[in-house]
Amino acid sequence: MSTSPSDWEVVIGLEVHVQLHTRAKVFASSPWGFGKEPNEQVDPVVLGLPGTLPVVNREAVEKSILFGLVVGASVPEHCSWDRKNYFYPDNPKNYQLTQKDFPVVVGGQVEIELPGASRNVMGEHKFIRIHHAHLEEDVGKLSHAGSGSLVDYNRAGVPLLEIVTEPDLRSSAEAEAFLRSLVAMLTQAGVADCDMEKGQLRCDCNVSVRRRGVEKLGTRTETKNLNSISSVRDTVIYETARQIRELEAGRSITQETRGWNAELARGYVLRDKEDAHDYRYFPDPDIPTLKISRETVARLTKLVPENLYDRQRRYVEKLALPYTAASVLVNDRALAEWFELAVAAHPTNPSGIANLVANDLLRDLAASAGAAGSFDEAAPAQVSLSSCLIKPAQLAGLVKLTDDGVISKQQAKEVFAEMFKSGQDAAAIVDAKGLRQNSDTGELEKIVQEVIADPAVAKSIAEYRAGNEKAINALKGPIMKRTQGKANPVLIDQLLRKFLG
Amino acid sequence: MAEGFDIDHLAKLARLSLTAAEKALYSSQLNQILGHFQALAEADLPSTIDDARIVNEAALRSDEPGPVLGAEAVTRIAPASRDGQISVPRVVDDES
Repeated sequence: MSTSPSDWEVVIGLEVHVQLHTRAKVFASSPWGFGKEPNEQVDPVVLGLPGTLPVVNREAVEKSILFGLVVGASVPEHCSWDRKNYFYPDNPKNYQLTQKDFPVVVGGQVEIELPGASRNVMGEHKFIRIHHAHLEEDVGKLSHAGSGSLVDYNRAGVPLLEIVTEPDLRSSAEAEAFLRSLVAMLTQAGVADCDMEKGQLRCDCNVSVRRRGVEKLGTRTETKNLNSISSVRDTVIYETARQIRELEAGRSITQETRGWNAELARGYVLRDKEDAHDYRYFPDPDIPTLKISRETVARLTKLVPENLYDRQRRYVEKLALPYTAASVLVNDRALAEWFELAVAAHPTNPSGIANLVANDLLRDLAASAGAAGSFDEAAPAQVSLSSCLIKPAQLAGLVKLTDDGVISKQQAKEVFAEMFKSGQDAAAIVDAKGLRQNSDTGELEKIVQEVIADPAVAKSIAEYRAGNEKAINALKGPIMKRTQGKANPVLIDQLLRKFLG
Repeated sequence: MAEGFDIDHLAKLARLSLTAAEKALYSSQLNQILGHFQALAEADLPSTIDDARIVNEAALRSDEPGPVLGAEAVTRIAPASRDGQISVPRVVDDES
């Protein structure tokens, strides 16, 4: 019996571990950061030395609540911490402080956008439910050398928010879209930086398959510690194919923990730590239950930025931006806000401004600054506007000069390049370069009449008068030439039609 | 009451090597402890969280980085170390 892959449906749930943007660790005051010498960012609380007590970092709690508000979760009245007991050298205390029964975030959903049929077509939107998110401590880093392993506890105790989805994802593309959307929300709210190269975002991926139309979920496997969006996508594809193959061969799926080898693009069974799942959780006696005040929730609610897809809808519907430009702008909150300042300075042509920002400005910024690493290798590089010499109102000024016909669109590109280099106003550059288009009707009328009188263009004129609209273009070149390209093309067109009409 | 645990399994999880006498002793003690919890579970108590264990946000720590021990001090208290890292028997979670 043969079946096609379309007879099967894949069901995916993700557990996303995100290091929160704080200066100190989550239960200790030790600083943390990437690239420090091993064990230089460790204090007695991190190691759980006798006599030490963990105290929860307010910023880590608030960043977690803020995430909850960003995804529309309910913020519980209380949250508390539990001990997850296991022996493994990445964990100096033999237990990890985590939240089991009363997590800081419950529920919520993340809107995702699937790829459209082409780059300029918006794809389908879906909502992926969040089951909960809990605030825990990251563990140390192991490296394996010869017969032994080495432990660096710099990462131990770094605030880690584990975001657990419902099994709502149905394809590798949806998993990819979810992670893109989640990363955008986390970074735009300042909750986390999500820098993949620094290991700030790691993902566990639960995959199962079932026959289409079957309600009951299949046996799932969990592939752990994926550190890029492409690894998640590849894991889903690999694991889906493997499970379908097994089931179609009449075998069953073992519920197991797996790893992913990105270099070889294949998964493998993790040698199960014996009884690894018997964590004997119990409430941590050192950390009291925390009451979260509604005042704090109200204060943090004000920090929730506009959702990126709400912003995208607003740009397309209210500002009439093309989808392509809107989708580029909303991915970067700073860029979107910069764009909006420019629109405020020149409200009549948002599309003109968006084009310059999403194409020229973004390209030049990316070229002038090395692109930072991100969890998503395929995403456009995040650029820094802090070093941008052009101010939003200045860009608006450039677009206005074009809209008013003072310079052509082609010249605007040249002026933009100059503005990017010097930070000068568009008008100043236009004047300095003598680019101002000639809009003096009297002088231009004279030139137009002279060109029309030239026998060389008589044929084109005859054709135009015979109904060939395009023939009029043949007359524009000589006029432009005689004005050294400074004539306003709109005005030339009007005058030609007037004299030939 | 019937034991709700397997003493051999618990000993293994806790990395304890127990003699038969110890197993008997701890089983009996654990049964007593579990008996207390059983009594608590059967008592008619309010389902709300114990107020005495609740703190408000004033009990939180501000996000101010404090002092660290330094790798030298960290590795000194470990049984073995190398290049500023703590050295342990090889643990494997690589592809096998």
